Amino acid sequence: MRALVLGRVAYRAINALVLFFLLAPLAVVVVFALNPTPFIQFPPIGVTSRWFAKFFASPDFMNSLALSLQVAAATVVLAMLVGASAALAIARGGLPGARLITALFLAPLMLPAILTGLALFQVVLSLGFGRPVWALVAGHTVVAVPYVIRTTLAVLADFDRRIEEAAASLGATPLRVFFEVTLPLIRPGVIAGGIFAFIVSFDQFPISLFLVAPNRETLPIVMFNYMKFDLDGTIAAASMVSILLALAVVLTIDRVVGLRATMKI
Amino acid sequence: MTSTFTRRTVLQSAAIGAAAIGAPWVAKAQAATLKITTWGGKWGDIMKSEVLPAFEKEMKCKVEADQAFPYIPKLAASPPKDPLYDVLHSNSNEQWSALEQGLVMDKITAKEVPNIKDVYPYAVSEKIVGVTIFTSAVGLGFRTDRNLTPIKSWKDFADPKLSGQRGGYQIPVNSLGQAHLMLLGQLYGKGMTDLDPAYKALEQLKPMKLVDFTGQMEKLLLQGEVAVGIIHDSGVYRYDGQNQPIDFVAPSEGVLSLEQVLNVTPGSKVKELAFAYIDYMLRPDVQKKLAEAVWYSPANKNVKLDPKYDAKLYNTPEKVAQLIQVDWKWFNAHKDEVDARVARIMRG
Repeated sequence: MRALVLGRVAYRAINALVLFFLLAPLAVVVVFALNPTPFIQFPPIGVTSRWFAKFFASPDFMNSLALSLQVAAATVVLAMLVGASAALAIARGGLPGARLITALFLAPLMLPAILTGLALFQVVLSLGFGRPVWALVAGHTVVAVPYVIRTTLAVLADFDRRIEEAAASLGATPLRVFFEVTLPLIRPGVIAGGIFAFIVSFDQFPISLFLVAPNRETLPIVMFNYMKFDLDGTIAAASMVSILLALAVVLTIDRVVGLRATMKI
Repeated sequence: MTSTFTRRTVLQSAAIGAAAIGAPWVAKAQAATLKITTWGGKWGDIMKSEVLPAFEKEMKCKVEADQAFPYIPKLAASPPKDPLYDVLHSNSNEQWSALEQGLVMDKITAKEVPNIKDVYPYAVSEKIVGVTIFTSAVGLGFRTDRNLTPIKSWKDFADPKLSGQRGGYQIPVNSLGQAHLMLLGQLYGKGMTDLDPAYKALEQLKPMKLVDFTGQMEKLLLQGEVAVGIIHDSGVYRYDGQNQPIDFVAPSEGVLSLEQVLNVTPGSKVKELAFAYIDYMLRPDVQKKLAEAVWYSPANKNVKLDPKYDAKLYNTPEKVAQLIQVDWKWFNAHKDEVDARVARIMRG
C-alpha cells in the first residue's frame, strides 16, 4: 500500500516536472510581455500593457500578422486538398511504387527546411516570378502537405471499405459515395492535418526567410528582424499573440467541426 | 497648328533639360524600381517613413527595401544578370565576402557618387569595399552601478575582478567578436593578423558570457548580467535619457570601426539610380537625420550635428583618427581556421 502511494507521488512529481519543462518558456514570455522594463527581469517590477500597445500600433507587425494569417489560411486549404487527395491515391489507387510516392511526399520533412527554402527561392527566381505571395503559399504548402498525408493515411488504415460498398450497392454514385461516406469518415485525419498545416505555416521561418518579399514579410520574419535591433517586450507580446491565435484557431475548429468528437480526444 | 512657346514654357523646358544633363539618372530613372537592403529597428522606421519616400519623390522612382536577412545568400542565389538587389547595405566584413563571390563592385569613386569627395578617408580606405556611409565605434559598455575600477584600456577588460562579468560574442557568427579577436593580436602580439597571442588573450577572458548579436549584448548590460561588454557606441547611446545605468568607454588604444557600407551589384539594371541613392545617403541633411536618430557617426565631413551628438560621435578628423579598421579580406580568408581554434578555446 505504501509502495503504491509512493508510486503515485513519484508519478505526479514526474508529470509536474515535465509540465514545468514544457511551460516554463511560456511563463518567461508572459513575464517579459507584461513587465515594464525593456529587458527580461525577474522578479518583474510591475505590470504594463505598453508592449502590447506597441505591437498593435506597429504597421509592420500588424501587416505581417495579417499576411501570416492569410498565408496560413491558404496553406491549410491547399494542404488539405493536395494532402487528402494524395493520401487517397496512395491508399486506394493501387499505384505502382506507392511507398516511393509516400516517401517523396514526406521528403520535405526529412530535408532541412532552410535548404527547401533556398531551393524554392532559386526556382521562383530562375523562372522570373520574383517573390510573389503565391510562391510563399506554395512553399508553405510543400512543408504542410506531409502532415495532412500522414494523418489522413492513419485514418484510411482503419477505414472499413464495406461502408462505401454498401452505399454504392444502394445506388449511390461514386461522387455521392465520396462526399457522403468517404469524406465524413476521413474528416478527422484531414482536419487534424489541417491544424498541423496551420501551425506549420503560421510559425514558418526557414521557408519564409527566402520567399518573403520586401514590405510583405510574415510575422516570424518581422519578429526575427526586430530582435536584431530592438529586443524589448514587444517581441514577447508578439509571441503571446501568436500563441493565443494558434490556440484560438484550434478552439474555433473544435467548435465549428467538433474536433473533440471527430478526433476522439 | 499654332506654336505656343511662351517665356515660361521655354524656361521650364530649359530647367528640365539642365537637370537631366546634370543628373542623368533623373532622366533615365522614370518609374524605375531600385531594390535595396536595409536595416530594421529605428533605422528602418526612419528609412521607410522619411528617407526613402523623399528619395522616391525626388528621383521619381520606387524603392523596394528588403529588411529580411540573410542578404548575401539571397543575392548569391539570384541570377547575376538580374540580381535580387541593386544596392547592398551591410557591414564591411560581409561586403568583402560578397566581393569574393563577385556579387558587388570593387570600388566606387566620386565620379559615380559625387558626395564621396566629402567623406573621411576611412570611408573609402583600402579596407573598404564600396562606400562607408556611417560608422559606429566598438568599445566597452559598462554598468555604472557596480563601482568598477575605471576602464581606460582594452587591457582592463582582462582584469581578473571582472571574471564571469564580461560579455563577448560568438566569434564564428559575429563581426564584433571577430574584430575584437584581431584587436587582441594587435594589443598582445605583433599586429592584427598575429593571432597566436590573441588566442592566449582570449583564453584569459574566460569565463565570459557570449551572445550572437549586439542587441543581446545591450540586454545583458541592461539586465546587469554582465558588468562590462564589447559593444558599439550606438548600442549604449540609444538609451540616452532613459535613466539606464550603462555607459560607453572608448579605450585609449582606439575603437574598432563598425562600418555601414553601401555597394552596387555589378548586374544591376539601374546602376545610375543605385549610385544616385548612395549619393543621396551621403548628403549632409540625410546623414544628420539618420546619425541623430540612431547614434551612428556620419562619414560625410560636412555634417553638422546637434551638440549632444557632436560631443559623442566620431565626426572630426581627430576623433576619426581613433578608428581601427579591420582587414576583413585577410580575416575572411582565414575564417575557417580561426573558427576551429576559437571553438577549441571556448570548449576547453
